[in-house]
Amino acid sequence: MHLMKQLRYTIACLSGLSASFLSRFLKLGAGATWPGEIALRMYPQILATLSKRIRKGIIIIAGTNGKTTTSGMTSAILRHAGYSVLHNTSGANLLNGIISSFFVSWRLVDFAVFEVDENAFAKILPFIHPKAIVLLNLFRDQLDRYGEVDTIAAFWRSSLQSFDDKTTILANGDDPTIAVMTEKLRSRVVYFGLEDPKYYLPKMQHATDSIYCPKCGTRLTFGGVYFSHLGKWACGACGFTHPDVLIQSSDYTSPLEGVYNIYDTLAAASVGEVLRIDKGEIQQALDQFTPAFGRMESIAYQGKTIRILLSKNPTGFNESLRTILASSQKGPIMLLLNDRIPDGTDVSWIWDVDFEQLTECAYPIIISGDRVYDMAVRMAYIEKKKKQLPLQVVENLSSAIVAATEAAKENETIWILATYSAMLDVRKIITGKKIL
Amino acid sequence: MKYSITIGWLYPELMSTYGDRGNILVLQKRCEWRGITCTIVPIDFQSKEEDIAKMDMIFGGGAQDRQQGILIDDLRKRKGPVLKKLLERNIPGLFVCGSPQLLGSFYMTGDGKKLEGLGLFDMESRHFGNGKPRCIGNMLIRIPNTFEIPGLRFLDTVVGFENHGGRTYLGTGLTPFGTVLVGNGNNGEDTTEGARYKNWIATYSHGPLLAKNPHIADWLISKTLEVKYKKKIKLQELDDVLMWQAHDAMLKKLYVTKE
Repeated sequence: MHLMKQLRYTIACLSGLSASFLSRFLKLGAGATWPGEIALRMYPQILATLSKRIRKGIIIIAGTNGKTTTSGMTSAILRHAGYSVLHNTSGANLLNGIISSFFVSWRLVDFAVFEVDENAFAKILPFIHPKAIVLLNLFRDQLDRYGEVDTIAAFWRSSLQSFDDKTTILANGDDPTIAVMTEKLRSRVVYFGLEDPKYYLPKMQHATDSIYCPKCGTRLTFGGVYFSHLGKWACGACGFTHPDVLIQSSDYTSPLEGVYNIYDTLAAASVGEVLRIDKGEIQQALDQFTPAFGRMESIAYQGKTIRILLSKNPTGFNESLRTILASSQKGPIMLLLNDRIPDGTDVSWIWDVDFEQLTECAYPIIISGDRVYDMAVRMAYIEKKKKQLPLQVVENLSSAIVAATEAAKENETIWILATYSAMLDVRKIITGKKIL
Repeated sequence: MKYSITIGWLYPELMSTYGDRGNILVLQKRCEWRGITCTIVPIDFQSKEEDIAKMDMIFGGGAQDRQQGILIDDLRKRKGPVLKKLLERNIPGLFVCGSPQLLGSFYMTGDGKKLEGLGLFDMESRHFGNGKPRCIGNMLIRIPNTFEIPGLRFLDTVVGFENHGGRTYLGTGLTPFGTVLVGNGNNGEDTTEGARYKNWIATYSHGPLLAKNPHIADWLISKTLEVKYKKKIKLQELDDVLMWQAHDAMLKKLYVTKE
């Protein structure tokens, strides 16, 4: 490396390390992004050099839903196999967040597992040569911020084309958008998918994005749909069809409830398989897995159990509802809707969620968040008769939690479905701790 | 007498980008709660002209670029003529999201391509390229009291959310849906928002416009019944406390952020 470059790299790293140390020492918060931001300003190509510190390989996890859980599971599998692992903080999934993760400790590690934001994908990949790239799914999510699904898909495809056979791509074959973007790449592509008709939905949900053939525009036919547009799809016109899957749902048991968590499990397990980790070891690591905050996390609170499910877009919310309705744990439901930047400032998407599943709900439904009335109106419109549902509309979040705790009977579970910033807020109130 | 209405929903699988179906759910429930039978009929590639002609109201949501590409030819050639007849017969319609671009005479894309619209409204739209920022954010407009229904609560405001790259300019004879108080509306220059022609409303407000604007929902239902049964039919008042609270919360939020 050129001497000046070397010097700039060293100074950038020292600044990043000091910033990271200071933010933790002084408990400033935001340590997950700004050390990286400082280093990035001093040396824009820093990720390319930093990535050489990873001895065995970098794993990239991308997709609209399931990034954090899949990253967590993948790290757990690698650690269980005896490897040291570096990963970025959940939510800090832009370039600055990934760079920041290198400054938490300066130890050399075997693997890095990075969850990557949909829009940051094409900005991050040119700097690194990943061992594996996991592509989970693409759903509509915060159009005000991310734009259309097809735009993201086009960016992803052109990024993927720059890799050769040193990179393995692990792709969800049940998502037609993912299937088309992984066609004819130089990399090896391994598909995973569900093979379990008992999870088929009785009918298609409203929130679907890719039910027309990505190649010829004809309506796809589905042998079965697991959720949104994920399923056994085929195009009757041009013959584009579901790829053969190498890793399927009967191969592994998901440690978490919810159909979407089966996909995350398969994705993480497929990384393990590509790295030739023993199948039994992979399952063992999964069995011991504990979810990240807000992802089916269970918290004991004032003698009741609270379970928090981050629900940030129509598909995520639909699957959260399906999971709590199928669970043996019952109790009041809290719906928390915020409209801050990380949530998306546009809350229209709640009308794409099939809340009608709750029309017969006998448990109290407590609504709160910055946009409490938007959610209240949505719920009012699922009623067959006026005032049919036990709705409680509470503006103040702390009061809403009190209301939910009072409404829950002994042995009942309070289910909290919240958008991102609402999830952080509610968690702070319940645990008394701030995260991020 | 038992009333019933049929709403034709244009390409529900393709033109439903961000909560647009909220309008359908709102119309359907507000009819049901009043004992009015409300049937939703999807208008798709297979739909026949004579069936579309039977609709009492038409609704169109927004499409993403690829989806719009799939349907635009079918819409223009096979649905355009019958939609024009419905419009002329005073059949009410609601078109949200990118509809001002679709209903107008043409849409000029960022790279200078002229896309023909349905030509039902005297207006034209242009995209000035990515140099000009998209219009994204909450929107508040003032509407004329021609939307007032006697006996029902009326507010001269409509709250919504806009997200569009193109700008629309109305022809001299065309009335806007409302006047912009907060946001951009048609073009961010002349304070017009959307357009109204006969009983059709076109607006850049996307998603569930009717959810927080129950007065507009009832105006559409009331007009639909009036045209279908050829007489004024009194709509029963509903308990809209939550809906108006949601409307007021936006008024408060937008005025506060404006100051």
